[in-house]
Amino acid sequence: MTIETIMLIVGFLMILTGCYCLIRSYHMLKIIIGIEISMKAGTMFLIFAGYMNGHMGLAQAYVITAIVLEVVVAVVLAGVTIGLYHKYGNMDIRNLTQLKG
Amino acid sequence: METIIYISLAFLLSFCIMAVMSRSILKSAIYLAAASAALGVVMFLLGAKWASVFEVSVCSGLVTVIFISAISLSNMKIEDVHKLYDDKKRMAYLPYVLLFGGFTMITFVLTKDINLTVVAQSTMEDFQNIFWNTRMADILGQITAILIGGIAVIVLLKEGAK
Amino acid sequence: MHYLDYIADTFILVPLAAIILNNICPKKFAEANFHLLSGVVTVFQMLAVVAAFFLMSENHFSAYPFSVLGKAISPQVGVFNLTSVSLVFLFCAGLVSFISVLIAKRTIDANKISYVNLLMTLLIGMNGMLLVNDLFSLYVFLDVVGISSFVMIALFRSRTDLEGSIKYLVISALATIFILTALSFIFMQTGSLSYDVINSNLLKIAVHPLNVMLYFALILLIAGFAIKTGVVPFHSWLPDAHQSADTSISVLLSGIVIKVAGIYGFVVLTQLFAGVPAVQVSLAALGILTIVAGALLALRQDHFKRIVAYSSVSQMGYILLGLSTGSMLGLVGAIAHVFSHATFKSTLFANAAALHEQTGTLDINEMGGLQNRMPVTALSSIIAFLSTAGIPPFMGFWSKFLIITALWNTGHKILGGIALCASILTAAYFLRLQKKVFFGKTPAKLSSVSEITGSIKFAEILLTAITSIVGVLFPLILLYLQSLNLV
Repeated sequence: MTIETIMLIVGFLMILTGCYCLIRSYHMLKIIIGIEISMKAGTMFLIFAGYMNGHMGLAQAYVITAIVLEVVVAVVLAGVTIGLYHKYGNMDIRNLTQLKG
Repeated sequence: METIIYISLAFLLSFCIMAVMSRSILKSAIYLAAASAALGVVMFLLGAKWASVFEVSVCSGLVTVIFISAISLSNMKIEDVHKLYDDKKRMAYLPYVLLFGGFTMITFVLTKDINLTVVAQSTMEDFQNIFWNTRMADILGQITAILIGGIAVIVLLKEGAK
Repeated sequence: MHYLDYIADTFILVPLAAIILNNICPKKFAEANFHLLSGVVTVFQMLAVVAAFFLMSENHFSAYPFSVLGKAISPQVGVFNLTSVSLVFLFCAGLVSFISVLIAKRTIDANKISYVNLLMTLLIGMNGMLLVNDLFSLYVFLDVVGISSFVMIALFRSRTDLEGSIKYLVISALATIFILTALSFIFMQTGSLSYDVINSNLLKIAVHPLNVMLYFALILLIAGFAIKTGVVPFHSWLPDAHQSADTSISVLLSGIVIKVAGIYGFVVLTQLFAGVPAVQVSLAALGILTIVAGALLALRQDHFKRIVAYSSVSQMGYILLGLSTGSMLGLVGAIAHVFSHATFKSTLFANAAALHEQTGTLDINEMGGLQNRMPVTALSSIIAFLSTAGIPPFMGFWSKFLIITALWNTGHKILGGIALCASILTAAYFLRLQKKVFFGKTPAKLSSVSEITGSIKFAEILLTAITSIVGVLFPLILLYLQSLNLV
């Protein structure tokens, strides 16, 4: 059980946690937290890959871009959540049940 | 050196699990900030110095501020929040899912031989040189993404658009 | 080759300049002329593609590397790359955006400046995705396209609900996570993520017959792009997103976003990982499942735009089948189907906009017998339906014919047979749509509707002309491309 395999396993467990939160939650902000946790796991995998194959400079360039995208996604989703709150009074996604089929 | 990485990884995973399972949304945001800090420590110890500084300052700072400003808009009483979202029951299965996933992955790793060999870092590479000279397409993409973020905030938060 | 340098730079720079121009001008002027600005940009993109095609064929290039603004900004040439496959997608992007501007001139009445801003960023995102040389830059621009189209769906939230847009963004974020994880695994095996490095390193890393990491990365990558394309079983966001968006944005979503974000990803995947047979098998399985399931689900819908959205899902399956053959004929058939699907789907959405403007409803049970009242709309709708079902001499027939011939040639005779029989299902649901909307008896409250006028009529006529003329001339086009050694 070297440290590399432990990092791989922790990364996968983080993605599993993020996806579970994304799927099961009713509160819109919890869904954003789930997306954030999963994207952090993705950046951890990128740094891990850079550590393994020796190209840490390239991996850091990738990670910085991924962090910028993560922040933009969080900002846009938070904006939509506030819009949802203004319309319905709470941030529950069970309000949105109009489209079916 | 290795023990610090183990401790940081343990903190990272446990903060993430607590962020998901907590009943109060404010505590979830704080746990997320702590998880970002732990991830920054892990990145620093693996040798990515620029990325860890960026991660701690941006994710642990900016995203948490955005969350808390979004949370401060909703002022429901705490018992109503617990009854409405029912997070204690919805997220109760998470430890079992993680234990099951962890067991399958550990058996998978122990039976199949996945050769993970660490190559030494090539000292010719300098992050600043690579980022500004070869990743011009990424920089254009980032500028466009930030533009869209600004436009989205203007569009979605305009009052009186009914 | 300086002319080609200037033309290739405009794909990224012209929308950027349009955003700046749009925000500098005084507000009343920008709002009154928003269709002029965006119309000029989209027509310019189409003309630039035609000019670039002729310049490239004259000089016998098959790919042209360039970097924006030349060596002044970045000393390394070859950050972007203009290939012949991406030229077709760029032309489709320009055409569908032009149709969207024509529809938007009539249907949107608020937030006009934001519409132009977002359309320009969507164009930058799509052009960037088609022009880069590196898998990670593809991911960055994919995310840009996803966020931009999400904000466009949520643009008119006072009239429609946020449900379609939230569903779209959450499922699209899941796709982003899958693709990012897959990219990090591929990065672990090879040293970098650019296309030529992966191509040259592929034999070295796939030398183990069961290289677990690579297969896991491929599964995640296929799943991520499949979510973005909207194939079954990842299709649940597509009908809701189309229904809750304004029609000018639905035409963008169905006409170009699912193709550039999803199908172009699959094209890159099949070109990079051509030596791995598992990719072709999984694409064929997804394709055949999508065609049949999409067509069956479209049979029981009652809302005009939902039927068209499920039809989009079904046609994506045809394109996947064409890509899964791995042969040049399959690739040509798939790209031809991308173009023909862009035209006939845009026609159908223009009809939906016309119906919504004139009758006020999109429920097909409330309509009927509109053929006498709206003859131009009816004619364009029938031609679009014939093109979808694959009836000669329209464009849809040629692209389906190429795909089924490619399947037959590579030995997948059963798949070709099923795809051919699924055309019957396609004809079935569209016939039901046409019968209920345009033929039959007109209900009393619709007795005073009249034909649509203005820009939507122009859009319908333009698209019908393209479908017919390109369909009739298609064999000549193929022969011309063969003479240039591009096919």
